Amino acid sequence: MAAYLLHLAILAGIYIILAVSLNLIIGYAGQVSLGHAAFYGIGAYASALAALHWHFPFPLAALGAMLVTGGCGLALGLPTLRLKEDYLAIVTLGFGVIVDLVFLNLEVTGGPDGLVGIPSPRLLGLSFRPQPLYLLLVILAVFLVLGFTYLLVRSYHGRALRAIRDHETTAQVMGINTPAYKIVIFSLAAALAGLAGSLYAHYITFINPESFGLHTSILILCMVVLGGMGSIIGSVLGAIALAVLPEMLRQFQAYQDLIYGALLVALLIWRPEGLLGRGKLSLKFLTRG
Amino acid sequence: MFLQQLLNGLTTGSVYALIALGYTMIYGILGLINFAQGEIYMCGAFVAVLLLATGKVNFYLAFAAGMVAAALLGVALERVAFRPLRGAHPLVPLISAIGASIFLQSLALLLFGPNDRPFPIQFTFSTITVAGLPLSTLQGAILAAALGLMGLLMVFVRYTRYGKAIVACALDRDTARLMGINVDRMVALTFFIGSALSGAAGVMMAIYYNATYPRMGLLPGLKAFSAAILGGVGNIPGAILGGLLLGVAESLGAAYVSSGYKDAIAFAILIGVLLLRPQGILKGRGD
Repeated sequence: MAAYLLHLAILAGIYIILAVSLNLIIGYAGQVSLGHAAFYGIGAYASALAALHWHFPFPLAALGAMLVTGGCGLALGLPTLRLKEDYLAIVTLGFGVIVDLVFLNLEVTGGPDGLVGIPSPRLLGLSFRPQPLYLLLVILAVFLVLGFTYLLVRSYHGRALRAIRDHETTAQVMGINTPAYKIVIFSLAAALAGLAGSLYAHYITFINPESFGLHTSILILCMVVLGGMGSIIGSVLGAIALAVLPEMLRQFQAYQDLIYGALLVALLIWRPEGLLGRGKLSLKFLTRG
Repeated sequence: MFLQQLLNGLTTGSVYALIALGYTMIYGILGLINFAQGEIYMCGAFVAVLLLATGKVNFYLAFAAGMVAAALLGVALERVAFRPLRGAHPLVPLISAIGASIFLQSLALLLFGPNDRPFPIQFTFSTITVAGLPLSTLQGAILAAALGLMGLLMVFVRYTRYGKAIVACALDRDTARLMGINVDRMVALTFFIGSALSGAAGVMMAIYYNATYPRMGLLPGLKAFSAAILGGVGNIPGAILGGLLLGVAESLGAAYVSSGYKDAIAFAILIGVLLLRPQGILKGRGD
């Protein structure tokens, strides 16, 4: 039982990183990404391959995974983020489909079987294989991500981002390079998703394309909308709620996606600020009136 | 071989064009992308297949029923997922449509199961040679039906009162309202027509590939969107041109480049267009 709770806590921590990073895209760049699970997957595969083939130590593998996913984010953001907000959603949806195709077809990613025997992290001779230690590692990563996000949001650049969020044209008039900010935020969020992927791969030690499909992207999106778009603390709570609830409601598993879909529509109609969002960091302009 | 691939491409391309018309008309009038267009296409296919499987209706009735069911689903979708959110930030209806798309897909999965369904009636198609080109009559029928529907749409938009009213709403919703046009009704009509075309596309593809399944709308939806962008989003002839071009490019790409990555071709085209000519071939209303 304790092992199971620890397992849930580790997964919840990984989802917090995913939800907070997606929230940066939604709440600060004002875009929807449906390919967040693809970045998560690329991070997991990149980190696992680095560890398996080149025997990278975990911190280096995780860093490499972040660089790779950040680069993918940049490549995807450059053509799309200069345009209207809807394009990114479709392009990232397509990206997710392609990444799935690549994972399934490439030899180096092991096809449908995926990769096995990914080593657990070792730091200073200490193995992080035991769950409590791994949980500590995840908590450390979550705090780093949250601290970084908090500092970013409060900095000069955070103010610029909030200006873009509140009124893009005005922000542009004030001399803020809005496409550049959006692209940087998007690729930063992709890099954070890569970190989450790396944490997942080295914890589970076995990955296959199934974990990184559209279903996962929708799940992360639900976490953000449930917690409140633009609210960092909301994303943390949303991630915990949606990571833990499905485990407790196992008998309804077949209805999971049905519920997520209905939840998204219902939330946006009746509570666009999210169930848990406090409104302090929320996007006021998203609500009508 | 080349001409055969060209013909295959034109056939699937004409189906992409029908779905792309739905995207482009809705984009034209609301400035939004209806993410659930692929699910409307799936609904049309399922209704026709299920009706035919009962053995009590003939093919034409089932085809029409598929179109009507898809159209009604489109109108219902507009009422539930779009209309309450009109005027909000564009992000909000977009996410709501994503939710609706997931909802419909998993509902179909629960109701009908994940397996492919074959098309219930067998057609006897032959291959005839037209000007030295081997043309299967199935392909010919799909091409003719798709082009016929597109022609009807063009006539409707250009020459009827309602068609002109839709164009007026797409140009300027407020002015159209001042001219006495009921904008809400025109938006609903746009969803009705766009969805009926997607429903027709769904039935045609159910016959062509002989498979109907809950996730069938995902890839054609994505490709039709790429087609709409390629032609210039919001532009009706552009959507037709984009659909046909995309179908041909995909078919030739699968034959001469790589068939494993066939589905990636549309995506590569989408990225290329967004980079080089975001307004599309015929100028659309996208930025």
